[in-house]
Amino acid sequence: MKDIGIIFRKELKGYFYSPIAYVFSIIFIFLNAGIYTFHLFFMGNADMRAFFSTLPIVLGLVFIPAISMRLWSEEKKLGTVQLLLTLPIKTEYIVFGKFLASFVFYCIALAGTLTIPIVLMILGNPDLGPIAGGYFGAVLLGGFLLSIGIFISSFFPDQIMSLIITSLVLGVLVLIGWQYVPMVIDGWIPGLGTFLYRYVGVTRHFNDIERGVIDIKNIIYFLSFTAVFLYLNAKVLERRKY
Amino acid sequence: MIKLEHVTKRFDETAALDDVSFSVGKGEIIGFVGPNGAGKTTAMKIITTYSLPTEGSVSVGGYDVRTNPMEIRRILGYLPETVPLYNDMLVHEYLAFIGEARHLNGTFKKRREWVIDACGLEPVLNRQIGVLSKGFKQRTCLAQALIHDPDVLILDEPTTGLDPLQIIGIRNLIKDLAEKKTIIFSTHILSEVATIADRILVINEGRIVGDGSFRQLRDSVTDQSTTVLEMEGADKDAIKLLSGIAGVDHVEESKGKGGNSVCYTVKHTPGSNVINDVNKLIQKGKWKVLALYQDELSLEESFIRLTAGPTGKQNSRQGGAE
Repeated sequence: MKDIGIIFRKELKGYFYSPIAYVFSIIFIFLNAGIYTFHLFFMGNADMRAFFSTLPIVLGLVFIPAISMRLWSEEKKLGTVQLLLTLPIKTEYIVFGKFLASFVFYCIALAGTLTIPIVLMILGNPDLGPIAGGYFGAVLLGGFLLSIGIFISSFFPDQIMSLIITSLVLGVLVLIGWQYVPMVIDGWIPGLGTFLYRYVGVTRHFNDIERGVIDIKNIIYFLSFTAVFLYLNAKVLERRKY
Repeated sequence: MIKLEHVTKRFDETAALDDVSFSVGKGEIIGFVGPNGAGKTTAMKIITTYSLPTEGSVSVGGYDVRTNPMEIRRILGYLPETVPLYNDMLVHEYLAFIGEARHLNGTFKKRREWVIDACGLEPVLNRQIGVLSKGFKQRTCLAQALIHDPDVLILDEPTTGLDPLQIIGIRNLIKDLAEKKTIIFSTHILSEVATIADRILVINEGRIVGDGSFRQLRDSVTDQSTTVLEMEGADKDAIKLLSGIAGVDHVEESKGKGGNSVCYTVKHTPGSNVINDVNKLIQKGKWKVLALYQDELSLEESFIRLTAGPTGKQNSRQGGAE
């Protein structure tokens, strides 16, 4: 546990050294709050459905790739991966420490959007259940997408390459479960959209939680896949030895 | 302390290391030389557990790289060729991170002071690593390899990027450390190997082509040594007398650099003590000597012959393939 803490602290500090992380966090908060504020004044509803329905797209396409890209790509580029993987710390702990740091950074950025429910509470009388559910789902979804992002970054020494590939992969994962996209795919190849929505897309699981339906299956889905990708990440790094 | 047995490392079809075996005893200091791409860094990566051999076994301090990598990492300090530094960190933060990651706890303060002093880092402790000069970066990285007082030190080109004064400083540090530690260092500066190392390992195309002291390596690539005697005036018996010395193959006479001087070039088997016998003849014949020296292969020439010349294992491999 102590070893995870050492890596966690180093990585979290790394985020605060980097101007890119600040820039992306500010964009993330402004983008989400901006989209939402437009919706709030347009529709006049005191809920956060619009916020949570666009959140997976913003996370998958931009924010998660931006914070996960540096985790291994930078180590590879600087050559510090040689240092890190010859320290007396297990690879699994290093991976988990890195994940935890990016996850905490993500949660801090997500907490920046808490101004929205605060404003809602001042202006109206929102139902706090779905809002709490939405944030809970966003935490799980963020962790899951981050685990894939870190995994992808372990393949590329170039951060931009890592960003693009992660953005592509996560973009596909969230889009195939998003609103009308499955129906559009079904229009091209009948059945494929529904199949992908049901078995591959992540948004479906997030939407259930976000509606306030806390189904243990969805929680297990996110936690188990997060664990799988972190495990795979450690295995990929170990495999490099051969 | 370090033992490699029949180690082969393949990347796809190419073998970066090909059946390499050597061992390094406790307290020994080994200079690892070879052309670029010869396999030095690959061998070092395997010893430090960063990489694993495709075939063969490697142990450090009695621990196997496959079954006990964590134990090896604890007793080993590694300075990779790439100088692994976090550019955003301050020097003291970097040392603190390494100290923590190496679980130094109580001893950290003492060790930190020691490495700062040994590597001359005091002036840059509060500077960001990214803006340091190449020399300071190298020294910060060396401090990282030394901070836990490891028994084994693997240094991949430790003097690259340093100015002459710093090079001397690092060489002296390595020499001092060698009293208590086992060290393998690689370099392209051959004079460095000759001055620091107890033993030189020459690697070429993934194979060890030379293993021994500088003298042993030089003798292994020469069939004949040359001793040159230049004297005032010729002696008609000189050739006969010089040819009579044990180990002498033949003697050539030529005109010397001075007006009346004569040069005798004595070709003999390497390692034989011809120069002493020549000295005796000088005293006996009361020759007026202008110069007496052994014209031997330089380290560079020996290195070129070992890595390119048709000698040793490399030759036998080629012969086998034919």
